[in-house]
Amino acid sequence: MTTEAQQMIEHIVQLIRKPGVTIEENTPLVSSGLIDSMALVDLLLKLEDLTHMRIPAGKVQPKDMDTVAKMFATAQRVGKPRK
Amino acid sequence: MIRFRNLIDALDAAPDERPFVTAWIDEDERETVTFAEFRRRARGQAGVLRDHGVTAGDRVVVLMPQGIPAMTTFVGAMMLGAVPAFLAYPNFKVEPAKYRAGLAGVTANLSAKAVVIDERFPEEMLGHVSLSDETKLLRAGAGKEPGDLKEFPLPTIQADSLAFIQHSAGTTGLQKGVALTHGAVLRQIEHLAQALKIDGATDSVYSWLPLYHDMGLIACFMLPMVCHMPVVMQSPLDWVMQPEAMLQIVSECKCTLAWMPNFAFQFVPRRVPQSRWAQYDLSSIRALINCSEPVRASSMLEFQNVFAAIGLRSHALQSCYAMAENVFAVTQSDVYRPFAPTVIWADGQRFRGAHQIVPVKEGTAGAVSFTSSGRLLPNHEVRIVSDSGAALGDGSVGEILVKSDCLFEGYYNRPDLTAQAIVDGWYHTGDLGFSQDGELYVVGRKKDLLIIGGENIYPQDIEEIIGGHPAIHDGRVIALGVYNPDLGTEEIIAVAEVERQEDLVHAMEIEREIRSRVVAGLGVAVRTILLKPPKWIVKSTAGKAARSATREKLLQQHPELNVEP
Repeated sequence: MTTEAQQMIEHIVQLIRKPGVTIEENTPLVSSGLIDSMALVDLLLKLEDLTHMRIPAGKVQPKDMDTVAKMFATAQRVGKPRK
Repeated sequence: MIRFRNLIDALDAAPDERPFVTAWIDEDERETVTFAEFRRRARGQAGVLRDHGVTAGDRVVVLMPQGIPAMTTFVGAMMLGAVPAFLAYPNFKVEPAKYRAGLAGVTANLSAKAVVIDERFPEEMLGHVSLSDETKLLRAGAGKEPGDLKEFPLPTIQADSLAFIQHSAGTTGLQKGVALTHGAVLRQIEHLAQALKIDGATDSVYSWLPLYHDMGLIACFMLPMVCHMPVVMQSPLDWVMQPEAMLQIVSECKCTLAWMPNFAFQFVPRRVPQSRWAQYDLSSIRALINCSEPVRASSMLEFQNVFAAIGLRSHALQSCYAMAENVFAVTQSDVYRPFAPTVIWADGQRFRGAHQIVPVKEGTAGAVSFTSSGRLLPNHEVRIVSDSGAALGDGSVGEILVKSDCLFEGYYNRPDLTAQAIVDGWYHTGDLGFSQDGELYVVGRKKDLLIIGGENIYPQDIEEIIGGHPAIHDGRVIALGVYNPDLGTEEIIAVAEVERQEDLVHAMEIEREIRSRVVAGLGVAVRTILLKPPKWIVKSTAGKAARSATREKLLQQHPELNVEP
């Protein structure tokens, strides 16, 4: 796992505050109900921070954010260099 | 404003070259269609529907992602005199079987002639969807190109013909289709345009609101269409993932009007990094209207305080009270009064105990505040009534009844529900409120409806899913919406009794399963699940779970939930 993915996982653990839940790179977050759509904004901002890219939401579907692995793949696919 | 006979005549009268809809994906990807181009595409869709046998009076379900094709399909159906209805596009979290069952229920109730989907509609959501024999499934774009169409005559549409059907809540099983005539929609738009002093040549709307809700459909689609005003829209999901886009779009497109539910007034300032605020300019906005949830002064003040620095005018923030059953707005605050809307502070004890508003000074200990939803639109009346139906005067809290010249015809195909809702010409809203000095204040909902991030959810739907878990005692589940001041919206707390005390050992596992079942069924996440031993939930005399008594017990035993009483 990359350091960025590890940092993202730490961020998610803080965000959901559910003791006893372990998050891995392929843990479903949105489809399992751990994260609601209103928290996706925090994940997208964190992803932008970690990848140093701008990620337009118009090109991202919530399913692209369902796991940490998918998030980084999405950033690769649609991310643009920051202005 | 010119009076039109029907919505299509209003669209036909729009100036050809004026931009109508801009669909925003990103700063370097967007599409704008003029009124002429929109009419051309809608006519093309009308041709496709006509080729499939759709004629005047037929119901057409539009199941397409937010955007121009969905809008031209909707209007194309109306051009034929057919009656379209937008339904929510499937959310990837929802289990296909649940989705199909909901869709089959709604289309059966509407006896829809056609269900129009887009080319990318997920196959698994359709599967063996049990549409009745007379319902056709059409893929938009699979038909002829609009340009190839022969001219064909369109029917004359009368003002009292049904224009479309709006659905009032997100859960498909219990959906009520609100049937509206062209005349009612046009009268609502005329009143609203007058109250907001709309000028199609200078105003423009920004919207992220879903087209299947009244705010998105009426304020951000029909109003612009009839007033010949441009609208810049993005999808609700894009907005919720990146609310910064709102600031970007308003700055760049200089939009003057927007509507949002209450939670958005906190969500935008809190979810856009402060370091980026200065890039934007909100000075073009002349009215940003808070509607759909009880309006909270603190949420609006937060938005105002944060964005005044980037040009937001002090009188831009406004409020209204709206519902699908009245096409849209019942009241609107005065757009020319600075620091509108009015806020009243009242004694908290008298409010809770006697349902009376006794004004006190701002900030008095134990006081509660209420924000006005504004004054009645022309040809509207409101009556506040007690539980026994007696009319109440100023400052008394009761159910809000509405009478107007744009009230709905009834719930489509549901005379039973219609008769309960409209009594002697008065629509019983199920909302609680009071009048004071000619303004209406909405304080909450009488019916047990949860509003989660602007989305209407019936608690019964959540309870049914949770009760279906093998470890949970069926019928001993209560789902509550509790207001979270940090989010500015309600969130779901569910209390459920386990079948056997010893099941509580597996609480973590059960909780995880419940969470994913609710998401799969309804597409919403439960914030907190509390599993309780048998006989914990308070029962009513009829042996059913008693909602308000359980709520009180819960709040007493769980102060950590930090809920307003």
